[in-house]
Amino acid sequence: MRRILSFLTPYRLAIIIALFLMLIELTVELIQPLLIAHIIDEGILKEDLSVVLLWGGVLIGCSFIAFFSGVVNSFYSSHVSQSFGFDVRKSLYDKVQAFSFTNFSQFPTSSLITRLTNDVTMLQNTVFMSLRIMMRAPLLVIGSVIMAFFVSPGLALVLVIAVPLLVLFLVLIMRKAGALFKAVQRRVDHVNNVMQENLAGIRLIRAFLRENHEVTRFKQSSGALMEKTVSAFRLVEVTMPIILLLMNASILFILWFGSVEVSAGQASVGDVVAVVNYATRMTGALSIVTMIIMVFSRAKASGERVSEVLGSEIDVIDKELSEEHTISEGSISFQNVTFTYPGTEVEIIKKLSFHVNPGERVSILGATGSGKSTLFQLIPRLYDIDQGKILIDGWENSFIKLEHLRKQIGFVPQEAMLFTGTVRDNIMWGNEHATLDEIKEAAARAQIHEAIMKLPKQYDTVVGQKGVNLSGGQKQRLSIARALVRKPVILLMDDSTSALDMKTEARLLDELSQFSCTTLMITQKISTTMASDQVLLLDDGEIIAQGSHQSLLKSSKLYQQIVESQVGKEALTLVERGH
Amino acid sequence: MLKEVIKPFRYQRRTLEELGEIRKQGKNSAQDFGGTLKKIWHILALNKGKLILVLLMVTISSSMVLLGPFLVGMGIDDFIVNRDPAGLITLIWVLAIIYIIHSLSTWFQAAWMIRIAQNTVYTMRTNLFDHLHKLPIPFFDKRQHGELMSRVTNDMENVSSTLNSSVIQIVSSVLTLIGTVCVMLYLSPLLTFITMLIIPAMYVGMKWITKRTSRLFKEQQRNLGELNGYIQETMSGQRIIKMFSQEKRVIQQFEERNARLKLAGFWAQTFSGFIPKLMNFLNNISFAMIALVGGILALNGNGSISIGVIVIFVEYARQFTRPLNDLANQFNTLLSAVAGAERVFDIMDEEEERKDEKNAIEIDQLYGRVEFLNVSFAYEKGEDTVSDISFSVSPGETIAFVGPTGAGKTTMINLLSRFYDANEGVVFIDDRDITTIKRSSFRRHMAFVLQDSFLFEGTIRENIRYGRLDASDEEVEKAAELANAATFIRRMPKQFDTLIQADGQGISQGQRQLLSIARAILANPSILVMDEATSSIDTITEIKIQEALQRLMKGRTSFVIAHRLNTIQNADQILVLDNGQLIEQGNHEELLKQKGFYAELHNSQLRGKIML
Repeated sequence: MRRILSFLTPYRLAIIIALFLMLIELTVELIQPLLIAHIIDEGILKEDLSVVLLWGGVLIGCSFIAFFSGVVNSFYSSHVSQSFGFDVRKSLYDKVQAFSFTNFSQFPTSSLITRLTNDVTMLQNTVFMSLRIMMRAPLLVIGSVIMAFFVSPGLALVLVIAVPLLVLFLVLIMRKAGALFKAVQRRVDHVNNVMQENLAGIRLIRAFLRENHEVTRFKQSSGALMEKTVSAFRLVEVTMPIILLLMNASILFILWFGSVEVSAGQASVGDVVAVVNYATRMTGALSIVTMIIMVFSRAKASGERVSEVLGSEIDVIDKELSEEHTISEGSISFQNVTFTYPGTEVEIIKKLSFHVNPGERVSILGATGSGKSTLFQLIPRLYDIDQGKILIDGWENSFIKLEHLRKQIGFVPQEAMLFTGTVRDNIMWGNEHATLDEIKEAAARAQIHEAIMKLPKQYDTVVGQKGVNLSGGQKQRLSIARALVRKPVILLMDDSTSALDMKTEARLLDELSQFSCTTLMITQKISTTMASDQVLLLDDGEIIAQGSHQSLLKSSKLYQQIVESQVGKEALTLVERGH
Repeated sequence: MLKEVIKPFRYQRRTLEELGEIRKQGKNSAQDFGGTLKKIWHILALNKGKLILVLLMVTISSSMVLLGPFLVGMGIDDFIVNRDPAGLITLIWVLAIIYIIHSLSTWFQAAWMIRIAQNTVYTMRTNLFDHLHKLPIPFFDKRQHGELMSRVTNDMENVSSTLNSSVIQIVSSVLTLIGTVCVMLYLSPLLTFITMLIIPAMYVGMKWITKRTSRLFKEQQRNLGELNGYIQETMSGQRIIKMFSQEKRVIQQFEERNARLKLAGFWAQTFSGFIPKLMNFLNNISFAMIALVGGILALNGNGSISIGVIVIFVEYARQFTRPLNDLANQFNTLLSAVAGAERVFDIMDEEEERKDEKNAIEIDQLYGRVEFLNVSFAYEKGEDTVSDISFSVSPGETIAFVGPTGAGKTTMINLLSRFYDANEGVVFIDDRDITTIKRSSFRRHMAFVLQDSFLFEGTIRENIRYGRLDASDEEVEKAAELANAATFIRRMPKQFDTLIQADGQGISQGQRQLLSIARAILANPSILVMDEATSSIDTITEIKIQEALQRLMKGRTSFVIAHRLNTIQNADQILVLDNGQLIEQGNHEELLKQKGFYAELHNSQLRGKIML
């Protein structure tokens, strides 16, 4: 919670001003009855019209002051709460961007989204309300107790006992409600998650006619949220009747003791009336407290959720380096690398070793789940390895600045992911300083330039979630262009030509040969491995065969089988005939 | 320091015209406001019984609020002043009962209202979700997912918190207000009239403010939705961002959106903050007026107003202002709720996927005859993605779509499954126009292995069972076996009960495809549709897959988008698409003889192989 409150520190001054303005308003409100009493006593009773006019004028003047303070307070309170919300969202987002994938696995995407929007809004509203009305209630309560004490210490004793009891009770409720509201927010996460899955998988759902199934699933999730919300709010709403009961009981006590004291001549009837009045006023003020409790318990829950994110430790970070290592050649060496995904026990990569010279092209083959994609993620250090070393240009990759390391790597993922934005924006992801010519060149190399020119607005066509339909192959080539525009030292292609037809792929591979960078390609296609300097055959996290296409054709039984299966009998006969 | 002090006044101004611009993109908001309230009311009214109970409780608690102080006053006057302890005790008992009733009614009204409010929110949320599933696929292709999600959570949150408290507050405020005005009228019609003078001023002021806030709130919610969309997108694209070390760039773009939200939020909050202040001010003015006018009248001594009346009247005028204040505050939250609800109803107003034709029929059985007759389709108007396609398929045949990327292969699948409707021409299934068969009816007999093999959060078993919900465990495992997915599943820590995380982490692309093949096998369809399904599965597994698919395709009409020749060679018909045109058609041998596009494609790959 302290972490969240610290976000308010930069706005100390504005907060003080806002609270001060609120105090002015409150003061005006409190002295108003006095002024009216004065008008009645000094003006009307003494038949002095000038007093009536003068103090009436003062009354109106005070109203103006209060109004002015209120309006200005509005500005300050909005400023503080909106800036606070802005800052919290910003820090959260900065933090999330610094997350490693281990961190990501701790928070589902939908939950992070809820925390960044819904939870922050909750906190922001709390700040706003605190600065405007919430302080009034406690001040009114305290003020009333003090005033009552001055009037009659004996009678006020009842209130002095009642108030701490109430506070204790409220704290207890707040604790309990805080936990409940946290559960509510978790349910919101879940609703968000079902929604997200449905949006992402909408075609599948339609295709398999699972609309009803999904609606049922959503109803369950939404229903669970409803039930939790009801129970949380009901708990909070219990406070109001109990506060009423307690305060009203105090009034009854005051009446009773009052009558006793009046009989004994220790208090006047006027005193009793005054104390009862203060008690009534307190009851009114306390009714706002229910709302405060609710808002604060929710804020507490949301604050904790936000703190959880802000407080999570990031494991993949730059080490303190005595010297800057730079990479420019692109040699890659794996030395006995072992890797397990955080939080799991199965070793995905087992004592893996291989070496790639600068400028070489390496194909990586392997069964599904053999660890190819994982291997790729270790090179730009998306994860830290358990054992062994990954050397790039002779430097251990954990000793190279992350930003520098990743800047030299071009990556083409298996699933072409585009962001909402223009084609140009999407390619510029690879290099934000790229000129239009460079972008076009990269697009041409990736065999997508022509297709782009056919789009309604060419390079300014919006793609992504809000954009036009691109085919799977077009998306893949766009993400290849994105990698090429970086002019990377190392190019990682994770089965990124799967949706391309043979001709396009051949042209692309041709272009890539002219591109001087170390290239690692995960592939299933023999046509690709044939054009590589080295082939790594991976199985269950281990290399089972390694060498050039020709040498593997001789040495590896498995490789022979793969080739055979793809080439088919027809080609094999042709091969036999030709050679 | 000074900078800090003047900062709140340095926010960029938003003129009404600017906001008007924003509004124009949507609908007429003045009309919408009432309309939206009406829609919410309709859903609220579903709980009519409980709502009446709540109103009853509010009436009871409001009258207890008035009765309590009255009796206390009586007690002081009659029993304490007159020293009558016995009478006092009786009164205390009476009061105790009244207080208990007060507390109970307060509790009941709150407890019931929360239930009603949450029921309403639940209904709205599920209606929205339900409606989403009735919207045509193009709707989803054009929207940002995170933005839609924001409507389900952030916008609904606004509605929820308002309904929880506002209804009770509004009713009790109105009740108190009526009561107070009656007493005031009784005391002095003239002073009441003076008090009421503030009402026109109030109206003008409120109108001025709400004109701005209702737009600002909507803009705020829209900005929040946009931010949500951006967050969602950058979270799902995290791998790319990391790989390309683009953190700074997304952070900067995020900040732009964050700043827009802040700006809209600032003005929405500031303006809405004016409402209670304005009310307070007007009340204070009326206070002063009462004191002044009352004083003058009393001094002039025309007898109509006594000092006592003024004193009591001031008290009541105060009572009059409190509910007004409450109402003003409630109006505030109501505005933000309406802004949220409006965004929810916006989606509800989106046109549904064209309903099945009235005379659309159910089919029990599908033989799998498919025919395309002069079919054309365009995603964007004026640019045909596929044009004038005709072909026919007999039951049990395998059809391969071949062609360069962007040729329209995926579009053919979209038309076949009726995700999109053809602009021209007709698609026939079993000799019936596809639009005359109920969507659900023919999709039941189809299975899909789509490009994005999407996995849901849940166990492996649940994910496979998605193909047919009533499948037994054995059937699920059998399907996995047939799809050659069982081997890798058995290697997982909890086998079929292994939990797949929300984004399918830890499952490789190839494994995903195996799972979606298993899903299709389980569905046991008459028509099988595969979109580039076999392309990223490794060769070793693919050998097994091919064999499983051969088994699966037997006796079913199958449409396959594939890139490798050995898949294609076995097809009964190969449809070669280029630029949305069907340029060649026939089986492998026939097409080779034609020496056209396909033959060239084939030879080029063959050449590649000969280079071995």
